[in-house]
Amino acid sequence: METRSIETVDQATGASADRAPRPSAGRTSRRLSRDEADALGRELDAIRAEVLADLGERDAAHIRAVMKASGAAAIAGRTLLHFGVDPVTFALGTGALGLAKILENMEIGHNVMHGQYDWTGDPALRGETYEWDIVCPGDDWRRSHNYEHHTFTNILGRDRDIGYEFLRVADEQPWEPRHLAQPLTALVLAVFFEWGVGMHELRVAETTRGEQSLAELWRRSGPFLAKSGWQIAKDYLVFPLLAGPNAPRVLAGNALANVARNLWAFSVIFCGHFPEGVRVYTEQETNGESRGEWYVRQINGSANLEGSRWMHLMTGHLSHQIEHHLFPDLPAARYPEIAPRVRAICERYGQRYSSGSLATQLADVAKRIVRLSWPRRRDLEANGSALARLLARVA
Amino acid sequence: MLSSIERRVSATLRDVRGTAARRFFVDRQTGLWRSELAWLGVRSRDHARVTAVLDETPDTRTLVLEPPRGWVPHQPGQWTRVEIELAGVRTSRCYSLSSAPHDPELRLTIKRVPNGRVSGRLHALRVGDSLRLSPAEGEFVLPATPGPLLLLSGGSGITPMRAMWRTLQERDAADAVIVHHARTRADVIFAAELEQLARRRGFVVVVRLDDDPRGRVGFDEVALRAAVPDLAERETFVCGPPAMMQRVEAMGLARLHVERFTAAPRPPRALDVRAASEGAPQGVSLRIQGREGGRALSVRTDGTLLDQLEAAGERPASGCRMGLCRTCSCLKRSGTVRHAISGAISDAPDEIIQLCVSVPCTDVELGPVVRTPSDRRTNEVDERVKVHAHTPVKKVPR
Repeated sequence: METRSIETVDQATGASADRAPRPSAGRTSRRLSRDEADALGRELDAIRAEVLADLGERDAAHIRAVMKASGAAAIAGRTLLHFGVDPVTFALGTGALGLAKILENMEIGHNVMHGQYDWTGDPALRGETYEWDIVCPGDDWRRSHNYEHHTFTNILGRDRDIGYEFLRVADEQPWEPRHLAQPLTALVLAVFFEWGVGMHELRVAETTRGEQSLAELWRRSGPFLAKSGWQIAKDYLVFPLLAGPNAPRVLAGNALANVARNLWAFSVIFCGHFPEGVRVYTEQETNGESRGEWYVRQINGSANLEGSRWMHLMTGHLSHQIEHHLFPDLPAARYPEIAPRVRAICERYGQRYSSGSLATQLADVAKRIVRLSWPRRRDLEANGSALARLLARVA
Repeated sequence: MLSSIERRVSATLRDVRGTAARRFFVDRQTGLWRSELAWLGVRSRDHARVTAVLDETPDTRTLVLEPPRGWVPHQPGQWTRVEIELAGVRTSRCYSLSSAPHDPELRLTIKRVPNGRVSGRLHALRVGDSLRLSPAEGEFVLPATPGPLLLLSGGSGITPMRAMWRTLQERDAADAVIVHHARTRADVIFAAELEQLARRRGFVVVVRLDDDPRGRVGFDEVALRAAVPDLAERETFVCGPPAMMQRVEAMGLARLHVERFTAAPRPPRALDVRAASEGAPQGVSLRIQGREGGRALSVRTDGTLLDQLEAAGERPASGCRMGLCRTCSCLKRSGTVRHAISGAISDAPDEIIQLCVSVPCTDVELGPVVRTPSDRRTNEVDERVKVHAHTPVKKVPR
């Protein structure tokens, strides 16, 4: 804990005293020269080329099998919800529908929309046009996630995924009084995660700060309202009505399935970038970075989850967040195969390869959210609001 | 405000009825479960099912197919694009339909090309398998009211002719001379049918074999004129090996229709790619499809398409500028491009490429290119990206 806060203070103040190369301490990464970073980059490029050359039938068969499994789970789940009357079929139906949505969003939607399967030439697997079963419009996601988040990963002020513009997940983010409520805000976000994802690209926070006009907010909300409109119609209107007297049961099942998916997706995604030790960068220090340095930033800005083969599948292989950020457009099912080699490269170059079980990483994230909700004296002085002054006096 | 809500609602409804919902619920599911649903006899919109496989010659097979649902009958002589998956990648080839439009089934007669991946896979198909067919197209078609005809073919070039003669057989007064070239007796495709046809009124059938001890080897102008004395009066359809077609075209026949089933020869791949990537930069042409006929500009072989399009005043949508985010993805209709980072070559038609990492090696034709949305905020972001992300692509060591 001590060493970590020392390191982050360095980053926040931009102090360069500690920039000299030092041996890898396991928890922190050695600073690489550009030549070293580029050499690391070339090794990663070689892995990438190797996987690209090997893509074939088994990758196409994998994603189609997952699509079938997700489709079958959805049909089974909806059938149980529509025609059952007892609590057991309700629980099974809701679970199956939740599973279908998790697979569709994580392993199919997210990955296909990255263009991971564009090489197949199958229009159903084409990243540019895929539309997923969630209130977030595919085009919004492609812009905010594929481009902004993956290009500017963990750069403060550029990567809007750092705390999604309303949570404080890094020491470098300035503290504000509203962060006091963030343990609660995060829980609410977990339950309604798909709505957070869907509204991300509307830039509501920017609008309240006066950085975006209301007209622009309205323009951006168009696709979101259309997509969420027909998602609501599907899950909360059409399917319940089709069930006739079973309508309340179907409505409840659909809502619970959506919430289950929300909780799962939230957990996986928060563990990807927010555990302790994951670095954030300033725009200044990433200016003019080379391709190798870009790779180094992806490694230090991401964290992996350990688990079984099924766990990896359920996370859409985002459990291999590091590999995903290095190679966002390689079929995700390949990440477990290349992970040992990526890890070995990281070790050789003294780069921290953050990895842990879902439980430990999630606990880490929770601790961080709680810790950062509370201001340090510095933060109070910097903030200067009435509440901050009051808190400073109390402290 | 109210009218814009109204507009939004109607757009949503259109969306639900139209593209998104259909794509989501119907197309994706039928495509996915096609093989599982085959026993129900459900016909798919773009898949034809193999109902029989006939051996025509040692290297040629006919696939008898149940047409896809909603198949628009072809005209005799037209071709279809056959799509199958090879190592997970959709691959397509064009084949003439050898069945007549009035036949209940479709027929594709396919010669196995030595080491041909697609024709090899098509020859391995069994009854019950399915393959994707595009709607029939082509200008090489029998006239609605044909006069005297000459159907001149070599090897597997006979396939569109069968569609034509079967159509003619249905009519009262046919006047057709069929001249077909094959290597040996055993290589004559539709041999039995040709024999039957020779006995019918209105048809003259001449089969020439390369190994015939009496005749000359291969196509011959003098022999053709001798076999068809009224050559000048006939409307001629020719389909065969490139060398034969070239000679027929040189004969200066009036009313000549030509069907090429082999691609026009192009320079060896390794050669022009190396010249483009290592030698002096060349100027090549770039065509972009779009409304009003699209546009053409000239580009050089030493820069990415994105950079050069922007330099030419275009504003294609783009993002990371390092080949990751796919914002600048677009369909390459034809031509060869090189990946600026990996050096990978894309030379097949209809491949998706990313403008930001694609360097042209030959003349390139692109499908429609998405333009940057004209809102100011996005443009602002784009300008900043240029400063930040441009460097990585350029600094890549080769």
